[in-house]
Amino acid sequence: MTKSVRKTRLLGSSLAFIVIAIALVWTLYPLLWVVLSSFKPEQDQFAVPPVWLGSEVTLANYYQFFHNSSFLKALVNSTVITLSSTLLSLALGIPTAYGISRFKMRHKDAISIGVLTIRMLPPIVMVLPIFLLARMFRLLDTYTVMIVVGAFFSIPFVIWMMRGFFDEIPPELEEAAMVDGSSRTYAMCRVILPLTAPGIAATSVLTALVVWNEFLYALVLTGTNTRTLPVLVNSFVSEKAVSWGVMSAAGVVTALPLVLFALMIQKHLIRGLTAGSIK
Amino acid sequence: MRISGRLQSRALKEKMLFLTPGLGYLAILFAVPLLYTTAIALTQWNLLRPDLGIRWTGLSNFLALLRDPFTWETLVRTLWFVAGSVAIELVFGMVVALALNRDFPGAGIVRSIILIPFIIAPVVVGFTWRFLLNNDFGPLPYLFSALHLRFLVDPPLLANADLVMPMLILVDAWQYTPFVVLVLLAGLKALPHEPYEAALVDGAGPVQQFLHITLPLLRPAILVAIVIRTMTSLRVFDTVFIMTGGGPGSSSEVLSFCGYRMAFQSYQMGLSAAIGLLTLFVALILTVFTLRLSGGQSE
Repeated sequence: MTKSVRKTRLLGSSLAFIVIAIALVWTLYPLLWVVLSSFKPEQDQFAVPPVWLGSEVTLANYYQFFHNSSFLKALVNSTVITLSSTLLSLALGIPTAYGISRFKMRHKDAISIGVLTIRMLPPIVMVLPIFLLARMFRLLDTYTVMIVVGAFFSIPFVIWMMRGFFDEIPPELEEAAMVDGSSRTYAMCRVILPLTAPGIAATSVLTALVVWNEFLYALVLTGTNTRTLPVLVNSFVSEKAVSWGVMSAAGVVTALPLVLFALMIQKHLIRGLTAGSIK
Repeated sequence: MRISGRLQSRALKEKMLFLTPGLGYLAILFAVPLLYTTAIALTQWNLLRPDLGIRWTGLSNFLALLRDPFTWETLVRTLWFVAGSVAIELVFGMVVALALNRDFPGAGIVRSIILIPFIIAPVVVGFTWRFLLNNDFGPLPYLFSALHLRFLVDPPLLANADLVMPMLILVDAWQYTPFVVLVLLAGLKALPHEPYEAALVDGAGPVQQFLHITLPLLRPAILVAIVIRTMTSLRVFDTVFIMTGGGPGSSSEVLSFCGYRMAFQSYQMGLSAAIGLLTLFVALILTVFTLRLSGGQSE
């Protein structure tokens, strides 16, 4: 019996090994292609047969990206909009999450379901009225409208994720502080927030990821002054005026910062992404 | 009495202080655009023809949509996309999660690498695959011709009305299978050991163990993956926009792309609003359906 068990174990490990190898190739092939293209000189981009590496490794594509003022502008726009939306959604979402976690309320379930509904809302429903309202109030192509909208679709996510972190902390902790006469706000800031710091960090990164990558609202609401990196990349594709190499460099610049941040908080990723659905 | 009353009002003030800003913000930004778009859906409004003004036409936009076979084709195509991508991601995701659910050197790094497609902006994913699938200089069509499979890419994959949706599903699977892996892996790690030990004593093989222990115990995680992926794949827009623009013809037009095109390429505000509301309706039905599914299993 032990022999057959050992046999199936060996079979299992080899199967797992094969699956992992295929998954890695499947995942890495497109990624590697873009990364290598971004280091290829122009004449090798359209080589037939296609080549992984060009005749030389060049930084020319990155040089072009970082020396084009409209590309740099998109990088700045994406950064400003992402940071501001994230901060606004944390400022509005964290107290709400704390309130939902701590206070006894009659309509708690209704509030939770309402927040979840907004999170699940297909953006195509909202993008037209928001565009027309922004046009009416002369807010098209401004940071304001992008930040307001970014916070709108991030807050439900912040609420659900942070609520989970607050639920894990026993209420006795801030009650003890409040017995000493401090207000709930003070107790929350001094006692609870430091304890949830890792949670806040994970929430911020995930929120930033969603805002940074967002395309539909940005496509409709931004213009030449405020366009973000995804909109810039799209304009490369549609105008065809930019080389694949520069486009690949832009793709790498768009993806890299968030990939690094997200890998840093990998542990919390799963919980943030599924927040609100387990339970 | 007075003290408790004062305490109560203080508690109420506290609640308001914490809850009002966030919930108020959400409520306003949710309700105002939604009411506005409902009103727009009841009008005929061409943004490029201000001279025509905005005319109330009641439910005629909705009736026109319901009568147009194109709407139904788009709806069915969207639902196929959702069903196809969720199914593939679930199967791939389960296989990879099972393979990753063991200790081996480098497991952490492999897990990180597999996660990357999910973190990248969908726009970048779209142009990457457009590049990879390009018939003139993309590596995949070249590979196909080298393997004497040229007929597969003739016409080019993204210009082939029969293959464009499967291609979009494939790209969606590339991007979102990591998410399913993540959810299922977390579920696998939380499984108890006892049932497996008992199964081993009873001499159950790995396939039986998977079917009779792992699958039932993993059901909550599977349902979470299904619910979230269903809702997010219904939104698909970015990759369609970048890779195919709804084409060839309209063979890759999905609901959200149709709503966008109506408003920002045909400038029909009323029809676009109606399509948006139709999408919302589909989303609600799918949510109820998938939640029913997950509600049914807890009993």
